[in-house]
Amino acid sequence: MTMTPPIEQITARKVDRDEVFLEYTKSICPVCKTVIDAEVNVKDNKVFLRKRCREHGKFEALLYSDAEMYFASMKYNKPGTYPLETQTEVKDGCPLDCGLCPEHKQHACLGIIEVNSNCNLDCPICFADSGHQPDGFSLTHEQVETGLDAFVRSEGEPEVVMFSGGEPTIHPHILDFIKMAQDKGVHMVTLNTNGIRLAHDRKFVADLAELKPVIYMQFDGFDEKTHVEIRGRDLRAAKQKALDNCAEFGLGVSLVAAIEKDLNQHEMGEILRFGVKHPAVRSVAFQPVTHSGRHITFDPMARLTNADIIHGLVDQIPEWFKLSDFVPVPCCFPTCRSITYLLVDGDNVVPIPRLVDVDNYLDYVSNRVMPDMSVRGALEKLWSASAVPGTDGNTTSQLECATCGIDLPEALKSIADKSFMVVIQDFQDPYTLNVKALMKCCVEEITPDGRLIPFCAYNSVGYREQVREQLSGVAIPTIVPNAGELQPVLMTTKYGSKTFGNGDGRGEANGGAHVPADATNVGKTLR
Amino acid sequence: MSPAGPAGQGPPSASVGEVRSTRVPADEAKACCARSYQSDVVALILGESYHPGGLELTRRLARTLDLRAGQKVLDIASGPGATAFLLASEFGATVEGVDLGDIAVAKANATAAERGISERVHFTVGDAERLPIDDASVDAVVCECALCTFPDKPTAVAEMARVLRPGGRIGITDVALDPARLDSELASLAGWVACLADARPLDEYCDLLADAGLRVTLTEDHDDGLARMIDQIDARLVAFKMAGVAALEAIDFEQARRRVALAGQAVADGIAGYKLLVAEKAQTSS
Repeated sequence: MTMTPPIEQITARKVDRDEVFLEYTKSICPVCKTVIDAEVNVKDNKVFLRKRCREHGKFEALLYSDAEMYFASMKYNKPGTYPLETQTEVKDGCPLDCGLCPEHKQHACLGIIEVNSNCNLDCPICFADSGHQPDGFSLTHEQVETGLDAFVRSEGEPEVVMFSGGEPTIHPHILDFIKMAQDKGVHMVTLNTNGIRLAHDRKFVADLAELKPVIYMQFDGFDEKTHVEIRGRDLRAAKQKALDNCAEFGLGVSLVAAIEKDLNQHEMGEILRFGVKHPAVRSVAFQPVTHSGRHITFDPMARLTNADIIHGLVDQIPEWFKLSDFVPVPCCFPTCRSITYLLVDGDNVVPIPRLVDVDNYLDYVSNRVMPDMSVRGALEKLWSASAVPGTDGNTTSQLECATCGIDLPEALKSIADKSFMVVIQDFQDPYTLNVKALMKCCVEEITPDGRLIPFCAYNSVGYREQVREQLSGVAIPTIVPNAGELQPVLMTTKYGSKTFGNGDGRGEANGGAHVPADATNVGKTLR
Repeated sequence: MSPAGPAGQGPPSASVGEVRSTRVPADEAKACCARSYQSDVVALILGESYHPGGLELTRRLARTLDLRAGQKVLDIASGPGATAFLLASEFGATVEGVDLGDIAVAKANATAAERGISERVHFTVGDAERLPIDDASVDAVVCECALCTFPDKPTAVAEMARVLRPGGRIGITDVALDPARLDSELASLAGWVACLADARPLDEYCDLLADAGLRVTLTEDHDDGLARMIDQIDARLVAFKMAGVAALEAIDFEQARRRVALAGQAVADGIAGYKLLVAEKAQTSS
């Protein structure tokens, strides 16, 4: 029943879109994890990812809150390196073949081994969904060795292995694991911890000091409210004690701050100032809270991104920073991580990018004559996911190299050990997952069955649930982000995270009846 | 000061803390400036920071000149030769560099030999106001961060026009400054650093080029490059202080930093900036 209205009655006018269509990519439905097409758009100088699941509707999330910075970062996209070996075959396409599959664009700069699911805290925010849980897993020597061997076969001489959890310091064999990694030729071992055992068990700290891993310690701020909302307990005294113990026994520490919007955003500057002053601390990593696993309710359109962290630091410590001091990391996808280094001496603070024209060396798009390839090489190691700061870390010698190749006097080499690293890292979640960036991820979860799964795929696509189920023998539901808009359909799992629908442990799509077939989409789920 | 000092010694060289009298005869100023640009402390603090905007701005300049392989380019105030080497290696030009500093010229020629491009890049000692170059003999002239230092700008620009072939282009990047709005401490440093003291507003540079019979075809703001260079100089000052670099003892550290900050403020306030200008010589020589 169509009737064409008379011409004079047409009053509608064509309207321009209010966004710039930028990229076409793939993502997943944050609810059923089905792989679906996605588009990236720019609106009001912000970058958004939008996608539509046939079953669960349209989703949109903020990827980067400063479009100019997003564009500017593209030139830092270093060509990837083939690993010596891949672990899987290409079958269903990214991100269902992890990993690493032969189509992955980068080798692993950093491998993570989660040695347990148990934790001595029950944080409201935990991407690993860990806690005081009786039905978790705890890796054996053999399982850790299988993973490490796979990593060594893939990397030759791996740069960095991080032991994580759960809470790795409560694993009875954690010291053995650190030693095992070192014995297998891993250059640097880091230990990711909440610091509680380091605060209370001086013998353990002394034992660690024999092995000298670099400690990555959660450190989210100074307000009681911050501690309670992120960690569930006021841990201020324990953190201080743990850091002082590390200093006493000579362990270098990187503080890792999970930053949540409107909670501890205002504490970033104070955290950094504290870190710079504390004798054990050689680095601070700021991470917008990852909305995978367990977390507090959030708005995907108003989440924090790397750009917010960088702007926040510049606003909170204007006497130290300008936006240009933070340089995207070339080894992974450059929007995922930015780094700067500071030279610190008392009240004097100098960002290294003002001394060395990092831009000139790390521009991979313009094909240029490089003044000094050794300087580029050193800067690539500094601006890398494998950079570990501190006198026992690998950055000092690289800083010396970076400064020796240019016009800085010899004497400056002597202060390379005054360097302090600042890292800004945004992990993808089921809302923001962008296969374009994921394919170049260089931070991998090493699984006990010998796979290397990109960290954000592990947390978002369903691998974490799959691996935990295998290891613990307990059915694990598909974890869905605790987004405000999903509240009506979310159920709480026994670990505190959220799942969808009837909570049968399988999510909608893998329930069997509703796998959405799509002409352009893969139409499959991992699980 | 230097009519043809090494390129790259932009206004922030003001900030190292040397103080010179305001009014000195031009010849004396030239000599002392050439000396100061070759002195260790200035070289140390400026490093190879070159000129505001760095190599990226030099590339931009080359593109605006539409430089092509085989063309002959004169680089006035060529300094250590960074501009000349870039134009030769990335744009295929043959470059003659002229600089008043004999040490800089010798070093630049040595670098050219090291790089094996002496046939295409050569440096000569010479005065920008009396260029040792034939009339109408070059396809393009570049002059980066140096015109501001020339005491007799009309003569220097006339010399550029003289050596350029009809239809050739001149590309200049330089400090632009509104002296009337300059902070009193910075203003009192006039002579301390010629590029700040004798830098002109953009329209005066345009007039200078027009008066030499050239047609200005393009002007661009590159003030960010100047701000970044000033940041870099401040960073180097502080880093060297941390490292206990001995040469720094010769200058008043706090005063130097304060002046760097003032220079930075002048850029932020739009009183000082960095500009790119392109001018063309008429096809038929007048």
